[in-house]
Amino acid sequence: MTNSSGASLAQPDAGSRLAGWGKVLGIFGLLVAIVVTTGAMNPRFFGAENLENVLQRTALFGIIGIGAAFPIVTAGIDLSIGSVIALVATCLPPLLDAGVPAGPAVIAVLLLAAGLGLIHGLLITRLGLQPFVVTLCGLLVYRGVARYIVDDQTVGFGDSYDGLRTLATGRPFSIGALDVPAPALVLLAVAVLAAIFLGRSVWGRWMLALGRNPTAARYAGVPVERVTILAYVICSLLAGVGGVLFALDVNSVQPASMGNFYELYAIAAAVLGGCSLRGGEGSILGVVLGAAVMRLLYNSIVLLGIPSQLEFAIVGGVLLLGAIADEVVRRLAEARRARERARARTERTT
Amino acid sequence: MTAPNHLLREGLTAMIHSARPLLAALSMGAALLAAACQPGQADDGVRIAYVSNGVDPFWDVAAAGARAAEAEFGVDVEVVFPSPATAEVQRQKVQDLLVRGINAVAISPVDAENMTPFLDTLTEKVHLITHDSDAPKSKRRCFIGVDNYEAGRACGELLVEALPDGGEVAIFVGRLEQDNARLRRQGVIDALLGRPADASRSDAVDAALSGNGFTIVATRTDDFDAARAKSNVEDTLVKYPELAGVAGLFAYNAPACVEALKGAGRLGTVAIASFDEQDATLDGIAAGHVLGTVSQNPFQYGYESVRILKALCEGDESVLPEGGILSTPPTVVKKDNLEAFRAKLKADIASGSGK
Repeated sequence: MTNSSGASLAQPDAGSRLAGWGKVLGIFGLLVAIVVTTGAMNPRFFGAENLENVLQRTALFGIIGIGAAFPIVTAGIDLSIGSVIALVATCLPPLLDAGVPAGPAVIAVLLLAAGLGLIHGLLITRLGLQPFVVTLCGLLVYRGVARYIVDDQTVGFGDSYDGLRTLATGRPFSIGALDVPAPALVLLAVAVLAAIFLGRSVWGRWMLALGRNPTAARYAGVPVERVTILAYVICSLLAGVGGVLFALDVNSVQPASMGNFYELYAIAAAVLGGCSLRGGEGSILGVVLGAAVMRLLYNSIVLLGIPSQLEFAIVGGVLLLGAIADEVVRRLAEARRARERARARTERTT
Repeated sequence: MTAPNHLLREGLTAMIHSARPLLAALSMGAALLAAACQPGQADDGVRIAYVSNGVDPFWDVAAAGARAAEAEFGVDVEVVFPSPATAEVQRQKVQDLLVRGINAVAISPVDAENMTPFLDTLTEKVHLITHDSDAPKSKRRCFIGVDNYEAGRACGELLVEALPDGGEVAIFVGRLEQDNARLRRQGVIDALLGRPADASRSDAVDAALSGNGFTIVATRTDDFDAARAKSNVEDTLVKYPELAGVAGLFAYNAPACVEALKGAGRLGTVAIASFDEQDATLDGIAAGHVLGTVSQNPFQYGYESVRILKALCEGDESVLPEGGILSTPPTVVKKDNLEAFRAKLKADIASGSGK
């Protein structure tokens, strides 16, 4: 872990670091706008109960969003997240029913998820298959396996595993009137670890370097294959964590529909939060904010009494407006900086 | 695992057999036609396809009914659950089944209106009936199912009975494109508002509806996503703190209501009326959290479909119901008849799992 060339290689220049923060600020601005608008139109939005709901959902979708960010940072993609969620969620109740204690059962399904990520990584690096193809096939295969395992039956925990379910439904402590949902703590832990990993560790910088320029990274001595594999393992593992929490939260797992399209929510959170699909850029805080924006939108649609039919139109419209505003602000700032540079130059010459 | 292989082999033999004298480019189309026009070529028995409109425990019970009839009447039944549950997937599944030499189809069309031309072309090749959700304008021989409007009214009556002073009620459903979802919703609303029965009524989703002490505050759809179903209920509870009752129109909606109310600590303060017979719903009735549920007797859908199609294949038209509609009566399950209902459900499923 003392390869300094890998670390220095990934040092972003001041300008792009600023642009990264700009993206985070942009998504934060969008979040504030949604909060203020919804809160002004329906003050119950700020009630503890509603904030807990939003926090809970942001946590669940934030965890899978952070997972999705890792392959994206390496300029890859993972489309299998929703199906990994379904497979993990489907396997957990039968394991428990078979008498496996809660702890080992959860660890077993998480290992399963990580194993799937390992397979993705190996296929991508050793066989040179495209990430899109590998994980698209994963999306299909795991959904089919999940449905086959339980024969399309809905599975759940009934009333028997309330202790385990506190992982998802528990409220371990309160801040004022707000009972903090347990998954929010899981998200916090995952986010802090992921941010330290990506921003401070050599492996994280290798990952960013690899996403920026894989050839340069390889010449600089970055173990490109192992770094890529790790990105997919982290992604599937976090999808597995999400799958466990979703299953425990909803207490009803329908293998045919559980987690459908969740890979898109996860990828959207990552991209909204400033991860470039071209790779090499990513902010964990941004991903969490991206997940929060998506959940807030769904929440405010109900709180404002907007018909369900308009839901997707509203979500898509607001996200697009946000992206446009972000780009316009960025260009204005750039133009201003250019003008200032030009003025400084003319002042120097005169 | 042997049955599918066996069928596959037969299908392939039929295809190769009929396509041999034709040009390669035409072989697929010819195989399709040949297999559809001569269903007896591979097998002289009656082969029935039982097609659902998606994947759900509800359909497992219906499939058990079809299986029970399969054993009783000595026919071959192919049960198909299309997933994802779209009109296009459903259509492709049926087309593939035709190639395999099916001579009768019972289907629950996802999109009755737009699938009608396709259903009509099917009637030229096979005996066709609808179940669960009808396509009334098609040439299907008959429809087997519950009267969804009446079933909706029965669901609404559960709330009227539990809430004599009325109050705010919200409705939760997977999606509203389906005939059965629309009719159920209208039935619930009409029962709550104390209107006379009229299945042709259609209230807009965002219409302000009140009367008889009740106000319908919202109808929320979730596209069959159980997590969304739960969050819809949570958000509605925040928006309408005075909410007195909820109606869950699809099987998983009431369990989602129970989970959301439990999370909000309001279990027991909001009345829940349900559809169908998911375990969590029945457990909720036993615990007193759910008022009751309207069961459509899915076992009968499967059983009756196979019985009628078998007779049609043998030229017996006397089985067709009056007016082309065989209404199976809905069963309202409450605490007092819960145990009997559960016992019957268990026995029904067991009778269909013989094969």
